[in-house]
Amino acid sequence: MKKIAIAGLLCLAGTAFAQEELKIGAIVTLSGAGAAWGQAMLYATELAADDVNAKGGLDVGGKKYKVKVVPYDDKYQAGEAVTAANRLVFEDKVKYIIGPVGSAAALAVTPIVDKNKVVMLTLGFTDKALGKDKAFNFRPNLTTMETSQPQINWIVKAKNIKKVGGLFPNDETGQQIAQDLEKAYSKAGAQLNAKEFFERERVDMMPLLTRMMAKGIDAIELDGNAPGTAGLIVKQARELGFKGFIIRSGGPATPEIVNVAGNGAANGMLVNTPINPANTAVKAYSDRYFAKYKKRMNGFSPAFYDGTHMLLQAMSAAGTTTDTDKVRVALENIKDFKGILGTLNWTGAEVYGAAHQISAPFYIARVQDGQEVIEATCSLTECK
Amino acid sequence: MIRLRAFGDTAVDFTFLIGQALTNGLIIGLLYLLMAIGFTLVFGVMRVVNFAHGEFYMLGAFSAYVCVTKLQLPFLAAVLATFILTLVLGWIIEVVVMKGFRGEELNGMIATIGLAMILQNGALMIFGPDPQSMPAVAEGVVSLGPVMLPMSRLYVVAFSLVVLVLLYGFLMHSKGGRALRAVVQDIEIANAQGIRSQFMYPLGFGIGVALAAVAGALMAPVFSVSPSIGSTPLLKAFIVVILGGLGSIPGAALAALLLGVFESVANPFMSSSFSDMLLFGFVILMLIFRPSGLLGKAGR
Repeated sequence: MKKIAIAGLLCLAGTAFAQEELKIGAIVTLSGAGAAWGQAMLYATELAADDVNAKGGLDVGGKKYKVKVVPYDDKYQAGEAVTAANRLVFEDKVKYIIGPVGSAAALAVTPIVDKNKVVMLTLGFTDKALGKDKAFNFRPNLTTMETSQPQINWIVKAKNIKKVGGLFPNDETGQQIAQDLEKAYSKAGAQLNAKEFFERERVDMMPLLTRMMAKGIDAIELDGNAPGTAGLIVKQARELGFKGFIIRSGGPATPEIVNVAGNGAANGMLVNTPINPANTAVKAYSDRYFAKYKKRMNGFSPAFYDGTHMLLQAMSAAGTTTDTDKVRVALENIKDFKGILGTLNWTGAEVYGAAHQISAPFYIARVQDGQEVIEATCSLTECK
Repeated sequence: MIRLRAFGDTAVDFTFLIGQALTNGLIIGLLYLLMAIGFTLVFGVMRVVNFAHGEFYMLGAFSAYVCVTKLQLPFLAAVLATFILTLVLGWIIEVVVMKGFRGEELNGMIATIGLAMILQNGALMIFGPDPQSMPAVAEGVVSLGPVMLPMSRLYVVAFSLVVLVLLYGFLMHSKGGRALRAVVQDIEIANAQGIRSQFMYPLGFGIGVALAAVAGALMAPVFSVSPSIGSTPLLKAFIVVILGGLGSIPGAALAALLLGVFESVANPFMSSSFSDMLLFGFVILMLIFRPSGLLGKAGR
């Protein structure tokens, strides 16, 4: 009897001190070639959630909320992403979604999230991911649109590149990136004169590489490919005796590429990176990431760590977790956010029609023995 | 040196293109061959389309990866261990799972889809989703004029040929192999001749999936290793057996090499999406006009 009474009291006490729960959904790629990015986003969200939970929860309008992340794997497929979005919105009843990773998936879930006023932080590289009519879509990472021109201008000039070949996945992401890069290279004075599109599952790149190399290219562009695939391209290009430059104008994936291609093949690769190794805040984050997940941090992760913190701050500022119209406006109004990547602001009103695109510094690095060595520091206008 | 202007205004080195494409094609064709022979063998014996075939390719790749990187075994030993492990695993799976579906095409097919999901998700839980890389069996390239032959791929060719010769020897010149072929050709007559078909079912399934695993083990150092790598080789095995004739081993051999060479030679001349379309168009035509395949027998 006594025991039951104590148990009952404990239960009551439990409910009295229980925090409200704030669910954040994640539609991320956890299997297959895009897994590195999906993990980077999911882990970033979880680490940001850990931060606020360690402080007793997120303070919104005087109430403390414990942040819980609900992840689903979209397998880098639009269809799977839609299923995940429906589950998150209608069954889990989330009001905030981190993801999806792919452009096709981002476009596919946009109607669902917009209709239900769910705030979404997506990685999707397509320029259609943001827009005037997509009021709830935000992008906390830089894309090719922002970084390619200053970076390509610098590389073409510094390395004297004339002819470039590119291999792209045959979907929305790949087509879009190929189109952007073609423009960027011709503006910089070089030419993207070998373009190959292939199905995402493809692993044997030799026929495509053979065809590109026969055209006498000086450089291979890897932008748009998932990390695992990019690694295979590097490995096979070097096996075929390709001696030119290998460039990755976007989509951080150096650890994964080195992992698949090996140190030797990856040496000398020129990559876009959002991370400066001298940045101590990111270094500390990367150590924490490794300690918790036993994986080297992917370069997209800090952007989503900062992005999730901005989202949480917006909820605090709006004083609500349920009225997403207010949260959206509060998020738009954040200025000079001090993230681990530096000072962050929203930009993109001219390009996309909505200032929902992050503006952050980025770098060009050369890969040496698996590590990135910074060669130039870039803003959205130029690299030095 | 011949130079061809067939790509708009870009000059192309023709000798390099054709030579490289042909060699790539033969190498890839051998991989398809290993996959397709196992696939067609399982179908021949069990009359079941094995949708889990690609997952055994994946298991083979992981087995080689673990043997080489974690247990520090030499590559040859890793391939051998992979073959034996998957043969035993295939045997057990046949006896435990597939036994009830022998000769039942539809139910058996669904059972193998379930098996594929279990294997793939199991691998996902054990190894995680990241693509892993295995050290190459050999470094460097051999160049024949402008054509580059990566040593890592030449090794794969040598190993595949050895496996195929051994398989041929077993099927054609051993008692077990003859019995297996008899079961493939006509199970009732084989039974009447005193062949213990109860023993042949697990043997056929085991050898079939072990061949897929060997293909995976051989390809692991060339490509990367992750739980999702099985789907493409499965699709290619499908195409090969449809072209070659389901259940026909010589047909599979011919179709696999043709497919490899077609893919590699077509790619330099047209975009890869178009060559894929053309290929599947050809497969559909084949299904309409010659459903038994290049060398398959009609009416089975």
